[in-house]
Amino acid sequence: MSARRAWTGRGLRRERWHGYFFLAIPLLYLAGVVLLPLLEAVRSSTFRIRGLRATFVGLDNYARVLGDAAFWNALSVSFRFTAISVVLHLALGLGLAMLVAECGRTRTALRIALLTPWMVAPAIAATIWLWLLEPQFGVLNWLLRAAGLIAENRSWLGEPGLAFGAIVAVDVWRGVPFMMLLLGAGLATIPKEQYEAAAIDGAGALARFRHVTLPNLSYLLAVACTLDIINTVRQFDIVAVLTGGGPAGATEVLPALLYNTAFRGNDLGGGAAVGVLLLMIVLAFVSLYIALTGAARSDD
Amino acid sequence: MIETTRRHMSKITGALAVTVLAGGLLAAPARAEPVTLQWQTANLTEPQFEPVWKQMIAEFEAANPDIHIEPILVARKDDWTKFVTAAQARRAPCVVQEDLATSAYNGYLMPLDRFWATEPAAFRAAYSDDIMAAMHWKGALYGVPIWGGVFAEIYNTDMLTAAGLDAAHPPTTIAEYLDWMRKLTKPGQWGTAVLGGPTDTTTRVLLTWIWANGGEAFNADMTKATFAADPKSLEAIKTYLGLVGQGLAAPSPNTTNYLEQTVLFEQGKIAAVRSAYWAIAKMLVDNPSLAGRMTVGPVPGNGATLALLAPASIASSCKYPDQAWKFIKFQAEKKWALERARVSDWMPLRNDMMDEPEIAQDPLLQRFMQIGLQARSYPLPHPAWAEIGGVDVVKAVQRALLDPAHTEQIFRDLDALLNKKLNDL
Amino acid sequence: MRPAVLLRWLLLGVALLAALFPFYWMVNTSLKPLGEVMRSPPGFISPNWSFAAYATVLATRPVLRWFANSLIVALGSTAIALVLSVLAAYGLTRFFVRGAGAVVVALLFTKMLPETLLVIPYFQIMSDLGLINTHLALILVYSSFSVPFAVWMLVGFFRSIPREIDEAALVDGATRLTALWRAVLPMAAPGLVAVGLFTFLLAWNSYVWALVLTTDSTMYVLSVGVANMIGEYRVQWNELMAASVVAALPVMVLYSLLDRHLVSGLAAGAVKG
Repeated sequence: MSARRAWTGRGLRRERWHGYFFLAIPLLYLAGVVLLPLLEAVRSSTFRIRGLRATFVGLDNYARVLGDAAFWNALSVSFRFTAISVVLHLALGLGLAMLVAECGRTRTALRIALLTPWMVAPAIAATIWLWLLEPQFGVLNWLLRAAGLIAENRSWLGEPGLAFGAIVAVDVWRGVPFMMLLLGAGLATIPKEQYEAAAIDGAGALARFRHVTLPNLSYLLAVACTLDIINTVRQFDIVAVLTGGGPAGATEVLPALLYNTAFRGNDLGGGAAVGVLLLMIVLAFVSLYIALTGAARSDD
Repeated sequence: MIETTRRHMSKITGALAVTVLAGGLLAAPARAEPVTLQWQTANLTEPQFEPVWKQMIAEFEAANPDIHIEPILVARKDDWTKFVTAAQARRAPCVVQEDLATSAYNGYLMPLDRFWATEPAAFRAAYSDDIMAAMHWKGALYGVPIWGGVFAEIYNTDMLTAAGLDAAHPPTTIAEYLDWMRKLTKPGQWGTAVLGGPTDTTTRVLLTWIWANGGEAFNADMTKATFAADPKSLEAIKTYLGLVGQGLAAPSPNTTNYLEQTVLFEQGKIAAVRSAYWAIAKMLVDNPSLAGRMTVGPVPGNGATLALLAPASIASSCKYPDQAWKFIKFQAEKKWALERARVSDWMPLRNDMMDEPEIAQDPLLQRFMQIGLQARSYPLPHPAWAEIGGVDVVKAVQRALLDPAHTEQIFRDLDALLNKKLNDL
Repeated sequence: MRPAVLLRWLLLGVALLAALFPFYWMVNTSLKPLGEVMRSPPGFISPNWSFAAYATVLATRPVLRWFANSLIVALGSTAIALVLSVLAAYGLTRFFVRGAGAVVVALLFTKMLPETLLVIPYFQIMSDLGLINTHLALILVYSSFSVPFAVWMLVGFFRSIPREIDEAALVDGATRLTALWRAVLPMAAPGLVAVGLFTFLLAWNSYVWALVLTTDSTMYVLSVGVANMIGEYRVQWNELMAASVVAALPVMVLYSLLDRHLVSGLAAGAVKG
C-alpha cells in the first residue's frame, strides 16, 4: 500500500526526526515544569532542613523515615486504602455501567446524575461529607438510627476502624462515577453480535459476562486499573479534610504522612524522603503491572 | 554557588517555556508607589476579627500614606504551609503571626531587639516579664505580644441552679469539680466535654488539668517530657480522661474540638466548658439567650491555667522592617487592644489596661483577666511544638480514650517519644 | 414489569440516592438559617428556607472575581494542554519513534508525583521568574499535570485515525503541521473535547497550587476562596455550603452540555488503545 512507500531509507530517518521534533516541545515543557522541581525535591531529601539552614546528611533522612513506625503504618494504610478503593471503583463502576447501558432513553440523564460526585472538587466533597458524618448533628447518624441500623450515634471519624471506612467510602463515592463513564464507553463498543452468539449457544447472564464482556474489556480494565491505582495512591485532599491522618494514624496514607512530616513536623527533608519513597513504590508497582499486562497483550 | 546555578537553570528553562508560549504572557504586577507590606495571620479569616482588621488597616494607611498593607487571607489549616513555602523562598510576608519558637528556629523571623530598645520605657513595661520571656528564642526577641486567650471554666448558670449548685462559688478544687460534674449529669445532659479532637486545643485543655494539679508535663528547659513520669501529671490525666468512662462527659470525645464543645454548651447538652474568653463571644452569637447566664470560674486545682499568646513578628526576608515595626506598634496600641477585646473577644496582654472603663464594665472579661494573672504562656517554647502539641499529645489522648486501661503505658510511650524529639534539634 | 427490570431500577435508585443525597443536603443546609443548621433531629425541609446565605456570601466576598480567575486559569491550561498533548500524541503515533512506550510511561510517571512534594520547589521557581500572583503560573502548573493523561488518550485516538488521511494531505503538498491541523484534528475532535474537559475539571478543582502560588486575594480561585471560609473557631456551615454550590454548579452545567462528546471521545480513544 502507498503508506509503506514513505517509510524507507532516507525518508524513514527524516520522518523520525520530524517525530522527535513534535515530541520535543511537550517533553521540554514537561522537563522544565515537572522535572526540575522533582530533582530539587530529591536533592532536598538528602538534607536535614531546619528552615533556612540545611545540612547535607546523605541518606540519613531515608534511614530515619524507614526506621519510624509511622512510615510502615502509612504504607499499610495506603496499601489497604488503594487496594480496597480500586477494587470497589472498578467493580461498582462496571456494575453501574452495565445497569445504565440497559436503559434506553434515560441513559444520558442517568449518567449525568451519577457523575455529579466526580465533578465536585475533592476538598469540597470531603467538606460535605464532614458535615454528613458529624456525630451529634450530622444527618447520617440520624438516618441510620431512624432506620434501626445503629443503636446510638457513632463517631465516624473518631474511631480508627470507622474512620478508615469513612475515607474509603468517600473516595469510592467520588471515584466510581468516572469508572462508570470509562467502562460504559468500553461496553458500548462491544459488538452486540457477540452477545447474541453467546445467547444462542445457551450461555446465561453470568456466562455471557465472563466470556463476552470481560475479554473485550480486558485492555480497558487494565489501563483503568493502572490509572486508578496511581490516582488513589496520591489521594490526599479527602484524608486532609476528614481526618488529617487520625485518629491515631488510622487514616494516615503516605501523602498525608508526607505533608505531616514536612509541614507539621517541620522536617522538609524527611517529607521529601517520604515523597521519593512513595514515588519509587508506585513506580515499581506500576512498572511491574505494565510488564505483566504488556506481555499478555499482542501489539505494542 | 549551587543556588545560583540552580536559579540559572530554572531561569533558562523558564525563558524557553515562556518564549514558546509567547501568546499568553501576562505582565507581572507593577510595583505600586507606596511601600506594600504583606500581613499574614490565620485570624484574618476568622469572622469575628474581620471588622477590626479592616478598620485597623484603613486607619493605619490614612495615618501613613506611604505604607500600604496587603492582608493575605488563608484558611487556618493552610496558614503554616503557605508561610513555610514563602519563607523557604525568602519571600515571606513582612508582618506575620506564626508559631514563634519554630519560626525563629527556622530562621524565618527577624530579631526585634534593636526596635524594642528604642521604644519608650512605658511601652516596654506594659508587658510582664513572663510574657516577654515567651517572646524570646535563644536570647533574642522575635515577637511583640498582641493578644491572648486565657483558659478558664465557663458554666451555664441555669443548669447549675437546677442542680442545686451555688453559681457564686464555682469549684476551686478538683474533688469539688468532680462532685459538681456528677450532680450536673443526667439523661440527655452531661457535666462537661473532654476534648480529643485532632487539634492542639486538645493539648491545651490537657495541660490546664496537669498544671492545676501541680504537675508538670515537661522539665524547665524542655529537654524531658514528664507526662507519665510526674505522678501529679499522670493523676490529672487519668482524672480528666476518666470523665468519659464515668459518663460525666459527652460522648465522641475523639471528634470533639472547640467547635463541637461550644455547640454542645450552646444547646444545653453540657453544663461546663474549659475554654478561652473568645468562646463566650461565639456562644453569645450562636445562642443570644445565654447572655447573663454564664458563670466563669477558675481552673479547679491550684489555679494555674494557660494563656495562648499571639505575637506579631517580622519575617527575616522583609525588605521594609522599619515600616513593618510601625504597623506592629500600631496593632499593639491600647485602642486596638480594646477593639479586639470588645469585638473579637481576644484579651489584651498589656498590664496597663485593667482600669480601662470598657474592661472594668465587663464582669466576665474582668474575671478572665484576674484568672489570667496566674496563667502560663502557650505554645510551649520548642521548635517541635507544632507537632508535639498538635499530633503526638493528641494521639496519646485519643489512644487513651479508646483504651483507658492502658493510659499510663500510653503516656509513658509518649514521654519516650518526646524525649527523642525534644533533643533532636 | 419483569423482575430483572425492577431489580435494575432498584439498584440504580440506590446508586442515585447515594450519589445525590449529599448534594441535596448541601443545598438544604445552604438554604437554612444558621440556628436551624445545628439541630438534632435535622430538618429535611425547612419553612425558613431562604437565599440569605447566598446573598451574604456574594455580598461579602468577591465570588465573581474568584469565578473569573478560575475560568481564566482553567481555560488557559486547557488550551496549552491541548496543544502539547496533540503534538506529543501526533509525534508518537505518526512516526517510528524509538521507545514510544517508554515515553508514555515517563509521562505517566509525572502524574504519580504527590503534589505536596513539589510545592516548595515550585514556589521557588515561580518566584524566581516573578510569576507569583499571576494566572500564568497556575496555567503552567495545571497544564503540566493534565498532559500525561491527555497524551495517553489522544494516542489511542490518533492510532484509530488511518495514516492515509495524512498521506492524502502530504501528497497534496501540505507540511506535516498543516496535515495535522487540516486533516487529522477534525477527525479527532471528540477526543479533543474529552481531553479539554478533563483538563478543565482538573484545573477548576485544584487547590494546593492556587493556595501557594497566589497571595493577593483578588487573584484567588474558587477553591481557595471557599476553603478560606472554614475557620477553626467558627464554621458558617450554611454560607460554606452556599459557596460550594456556587463553585460546583458551573462544572455540572458544562458537563451536561458536553456529555455526548465526552463519551464518544472516550470510546474511541481509550478502548482501542
